[in-house]
Parts: sequence; structure tokens; C-alpha cells
Amino acid sequence: MEALRLTGVVKRFGDFTAVDDLSFAVAPGEVFGFLGGNGAGKTTSLRMVLDILRPDAGTIMVMGRPPGRSASPDLGFLPEERGLYRSMTAIDTIVYFGRLKGMAAASARREGMALLERFGLAGFARTSVEKLSKGMAQKVQLATAIVNTPKLLLLDEPFSGLDPVNQALLEEVILNAARNGAAVVFSTHVMQHAERLCDRLLFLAHGRKQFEGTQDEARAALPVQLTLTANRSPAALAGVAEAHEAGTGEDGWHDWDVRLEPGGDPGRLLELCTANGFPLRRFEQRRASMHDVFLHIVGGAEARS
Amino acid sequence: MIKHILLVAAREYRQIASTRSFWLTLLIIPLALAAGPVLSRFADKAHTETIMLVDQSGGGVGSAIAHRIELDRQRQVMDALSHYVDRHDLRRAAPDAAWTRKGRWYSDADVAAFIASGGQKAAVARIAAVSQGDADAFEAPNQDYRIVETPAAITAAPPGAIDGLLAPWLRPADKSGHKPIDYVVLIPHDFGTSPVVRLWANGVPRASFVSTLQGVLTSQLRTRYLLANGVAGPTAAAAASLAPAIGVTTPPEGSGRERVVIRSILPLISAYILLMSLILSGSWMLQGAIEERNNKLIETVLACITPNELMYGKLVGTVAVGLSMIATWVICGLFAAFATHGAIADLIRPALEPVSTPGSIAAILFFFVAGYLMVSMIFLVIGATSDSMREAQGFLTPVLLVIMLPVTLLVQAVLRDSGGPIVEFLTWFPLYTPFAVLARLGTGIPTWEMLGSAATLLIFILIEVVALGRIFRASLLSGGGRPSLAELARLVRRPG
Repeated sequence: MEALRLTGVVKRFGDFTAVDDLSFAVAPGEVFGFLGGNGAGKTTSLRMVLDILRPDAGTIMVMGRPPGRSASPDLGFLPEERGLYRSMTAIDTIVYFGRLKGMAAASARREGMALLERFGLAGFARTSVEKLSKGMAQKVQLATAIVNTPKLLLLDEPFSGLDPVNQALLEEVILNAARNGAAVVFSTHVMQHAERLCDRLLFLAHGRKQFEGTQDEARAALPVQLTLTANRSPAALAGVAEAHEAGTGEDGWHDWDVRLEPGGDPGRLLELCTANGFPLRRFEQRRASMHDVFLHIVGGAEARS
Repeated sequence: MIKHILLVAAREYRQIASTRSFWLTLLIIPLALAAGPVLSRFADKAHTETIMLVDQSGGGVGSAIAHRIELDRQRQVMDALSHYVDRHDLRRAAPDAAWTRKGRWYSDADVAAFIASGGQKAAVARIAAVSQGDADAFEAPNQDYRIVETPAAITAAPPGAIDGLLAPWLRPADKSGHKPIDYVVLIPHDFGTSPVVRLWANGVPRASFVSTLQGVLTSQLRTRYLLANGVAGPTAAAAASLAPAIGVTTPPEGSGRERVVIRSILPLISAYILLMSLILSGSWMLQGAIEERNNKLIETVLACITPNELMYGKLVGTVAVGLSMIATWVICGLFAAFATHGAIADLIRPALEPVSTPGSIAAILFFFVAGYLMVSMIFLVIGATSDSMREAQGFLTPVLLVIMLPVTLLVQAVLRDSGGPIVEFLTWFPLYTPFAVLARLGTGIPTWEMLGSAATLLIFILIEVVALGRIFRASLLSGGGRPSLAELARLVRRPG
């Protein structure tokens, strides 16, 4: 059973369409990146999954059921804008949210203490939130999201505002949850995290899905880019869309940035060079970063709008 | 749903109960109850004023003034004794004596008989004979006036020297350690032929003192006038003391205006406590709602529970806080009343009568809870639509004024025992119904009116929860500052 499925979901606020015909599915154990710029519709989509907002059209299924608070025992959620009750202690906060998600008080306390131990905060369990540092409070909030060992973990811009140590901790939490069979959906506009963590990605722009698939599939959408070292321009070779000189070497050899035509095969170009006696000292395929892929796919949509 | 509501309510309760202001507020009334009698005791002791009577006319006038003051003092003692025996059910100590009959006016003859029969000392002995030690000791009220001895030099002083001789008594030097005399009354040697009498007062004299003085001096002047015109001494004295025998008829004990006041004490206190406690607990809830908005908590909470569960939880938590405060105050009040056997108990026993029937208790509980729900809902919406306490004040101040001002009018109207259109309006206007019905329980409110206003109030609360609930839900995740009134009206019309 899929942990989450959205089919043709639309959400409008007056004349503004925040989410437009959005469909995707996330399987258990999968880390799913929900990528888009500011105002792309990521938070609105997650709020619909949580039943905080209702879609105007389309259907949403969470753990095989329509969204609702009955699903909260299986859900973990970390919002983009974070905050806690300042006068409550760390452990009481975790227990409170655990109980709101249907846990018994004793097990919420046990799990909460285990999480605080894991996050290095066991000594601060009885400290009120207002006396914790910002980083500590963020760990407590993360603990409130995962205290119930959720089957679907929704993280809205989880890395924003975290220092590098806490970012590493959060990455470990995400991977650990997925290893234990949870579906993890996280929204971000920082591509490095997506690149490191995601099994599959969805690019969103102006509420519409621009791409969904694996990282390799995303990169395949981008024309292949090569770096060649040759003693003449490769621009005339069949399949080459663009070639720009990138540097000058010795004895007339030059570095060239080469972009193939869409669908072009770098192996075919190498074969062609060999067959035609086109001399090469270097033939290197450059792996496109997710940042480039995102700009290529979403940037076009942004520009079109 | 119920579990979520109770969890939210318990958290709200704990949050409010963990604040210092909650405990301070909770303790203020018991402390005031404890401090009141102590302070009043000090205040009473400072009340006795001193009088020096300088009688240069032969001594008879000064004695008459002193006698009058003593009679008035003994009348006070008799009145206090009558309340004491009534409170401790000790009338059997002297069933025929005037001082065991509470609430009547004691004539000079009654007072004279009381003095002749041994006064306070004899009365206390008779009480002790029947009380078997179950009554606390009787304490006479502080006397209003005390007559000090007049130095012979002052009595004999010529008119030109008297101001100088009195100066150290009226304005003693700081180092002397003497307190200034409050009043000096000079009756000159020619009093009778001349009506002039001098009074030195250390401040504005009490009206009652001047009135007493005037009564005695008038009587003395008349006697001397009649004697000077050939009327025989006994006849002149009798004529001067002629006074109408006013037969005072007071309502039976515990009726009339006294009844209205006594029976209205607890209902009025209930209405006032309701007002104060819901304003306090409503303010705490409002702060909590603002904190949730400020600290970006709402989204996390709404991922687990519905907006309605959050709203009902907060309302239940606030009602629980308010009822806890009231329960604490009531327990402290009852403890103080029955532990002291003092004036509080004296008042409370008859005052309990209108609020001790099952119907009255049910009505009090209903209107307390309904009042809480109605006003807390308003506070909750103000909190949900405000990003800061400063922003909330913009709504809060007018709301508090609208609630509090008519309630003040209501209290005065009930104490005057006047029904009238204002009281009727406040009874039927839902915003004031809980206060008006609670306040009127003492004077009596027809059952049909109570049930009708309760039904109206319930309908109003339902409409309020639906309408303001829409604003609450719509405001939870909105940003951008306080909504305008037009925006609020639009939210009320449109379901979320």
C-alpha cells in the first residue's frame, strides 16, 4: 500500500491557484523530495495532506484513507515555521504531542526520553523550552514529530535555520526513518540535501508538477554536457548542439565545454570521433548537479510564467 | 474528539496554573478575608475621640453632656449584645431583657434600666451562665468618645487666658508624647443668660457629636429659661426634657430592606466573582492563544487535532481554571465564616438561604459555566486574531468596557431592590444574562424568567460558537496583522 497518493489535486485561494492538478505517490521506505521555489505550492500541498486545508478538486489518500486526524497516529510533521510552548519542559512537550497523536502517556514518555538521549538532550528533559538554546529547541521539535514512529513523515523545509551539526542529525533521522519503512516526504529549495537523500523527486513551479522521477531520470532530462580537450573545435561534429572553448593548453590543444543535442549519446560521439580521426586528449562526461537540473526544468516554467 | 479536547484543556489549565499571577490572584481573596478583620480592628481602635468638658457654669451642664454620651455608649453596648446573643443563640440568658432583642430601638429608659441592672458586666455574667463555654467572649464595640479629666486651673481660668491654657492640650509638643484632645467644650459661667458655648475641635467635628452636644445644651437652656420665668424646678426640668415618644416599628428580623441586602449579598458576590474570574482567566487564555500564534505552534498542533478540538479544549480549560478559582474562594470563605463565628458567619447564615436550594445551586452552576463559555469565546477569538498583547488590547478594552459598565449599574439596581427596565433588559440581553440572573437570585427572579433567559443565553452561545468559531478557524493560519471589522464580518458569514 502506498503511504501517500495525490490525484489531480487543485487548491485555489480566491483567484489564485496555489496547487494545480498535482498527482504523485510515495511508497513506504522511500525518501521523496518535494522541490520548488518560494510560493511553488509545497506548504499548501503538505497542509492538504494533513487535512489542515481541503483541496478544491482531486483526491488525497494517506495510508489508504482520506486525510484526517484519524491518520495522525501514523503521521509525523515538522512545519517550516517552528515553535513550542515556551513554559513547557522538553519531555512534557514531546509527551503532549505524542498523546495528541494517540500514544499512551507512558509510551510517549519512554519514547520521548529515548529521543532526547539520542539527540544528546537527556540532561535537559525537565528544562523548560524557553531556557533551551535555539538548536536544542529544534531538536525537541524534531522529537515531537517522530515520537510516534510515523509511517509517513512530512518535513516542510526541515533544514532551514539548522546549523551543520543539526543538519547532519536530521539527515540521519530521515535516512533512519526510511530504513525502518517510513515514507519520508520533505520539501526544500536547497538542492544539495535533495541530492544526498532523495530516492525520487518532484519539481513544482507555480503549483504545477514539472517533473517526477529518480535523480538519474531528472539528470537525463538535461542535455549531456562533456569536457573535451581537442586541437580543433568539436562544434561541427554530428550530435553536438554547442561547443565553447573553456581554456587553452600547449601546442594548440584546447579545452571545450560541449553540450549534446537533446537525447544525444556521449558514447556515439566518442565512436564518431574515433572513426573520423578527430584527435582527443580528454573525453569527460560531466554529471549535472541537481541544482542545474532544477534550474533547467523549473527555470523554464518560471520564465514562461 | 473528547480525548483531544481534554488533552488541550489539561495543557491550558497547567499552563495557566504554572503562572505566578494565577496563584497571586487565587490567594488575594483569602488574604483579604484574613486581613480584613485584623485591619478593621486596628481601624476601630483609632476611632475613639477624646473630649474635655470645661464647665464654668457650676458643673451641671458638663455632667449632663457626660451623661448623654454615656447613655449613647451603653445603647451601642446593648445593640452589640443583642447581635451576640442572636449569633450564638443565647437569648435564653435573659429572655425579658431589652438587650437580648435584636434590631429594636433602645429608648433612654431601656438604657437606664440596663445600666441599673448592672450593665455590660451583669449581662456578660448571665450569658456565661447559659453559654457553657461554647461561645467566644463578648467584645464591646469601641467607644466613640472618651471624656478626659479637666484640670482645675482650666476650669477656673478667666476668659482671656483659656486659649493659652488649652493650647498644650489641643496641640501638644512632639516631645511630650501626649495625644491632642479631639474636642474641648467650654460652658461659660453666664451660660443660661447667654446661649454662647465654645467648642475647640482638632479637625472637622463629627456631625453626631455636634448634634448630641446641641441636644443637651438646648435642654439645659430651656430649663434655665423656665426657672428664670418662675416655673418650679421639677416642672422646668420635666418641660425641658419633654420629647415625643416615638414608637419605632421595624420589619421582622430578616425582612424589609435588611432582608434585601442580606439575601442579595451572596448572589451579588457570585455575579462579581464571575465577572472578575472570567476576565482574569480569559486574559490568561488570550495570552496563551497569542503565544501559539507568535511561536508558530498552530500548524504543529493542527497536524494532530482539528481547529474545533483546539477551540473547545481551550474553552474547557479556561472554564476549569475559573471554576477552580471560584471553588477555592468559596471554600476559603466558608472556612473563614464557620471558623471565626464572627461577623462573616453572622452575615452568611441568612445570606445562604436564597442560594442553598437545589434549584438555586443548579442555576448558579449553569449561569457560571454559560457566562464563562460566552465571554471566554470572545477572548479566544481576540487572541486568535492578534499577534501581540498590544494588538489584542485594541479589541479587549472596548469589550471589557461593554461587559463591565452595565454590570456595575446592575449591582446598584439590585441593592436598591428596584426591578425596572434596566434590570429586565440586562436579564434578557445574553451578554449580561449570567450576571443579572445571579445578582437577582437574592431578591427573587420568577422561574419563567430564569428559564427563558437561560434558553436565550444558550441559543446565543450556540450562535456565538458557530460565528466566532469561523473567525477562530480562519485566523489560525492567517498572518498579516489584525483583521478589520469588515473582514471579521465576512469571516462570520462564510463557513471555513
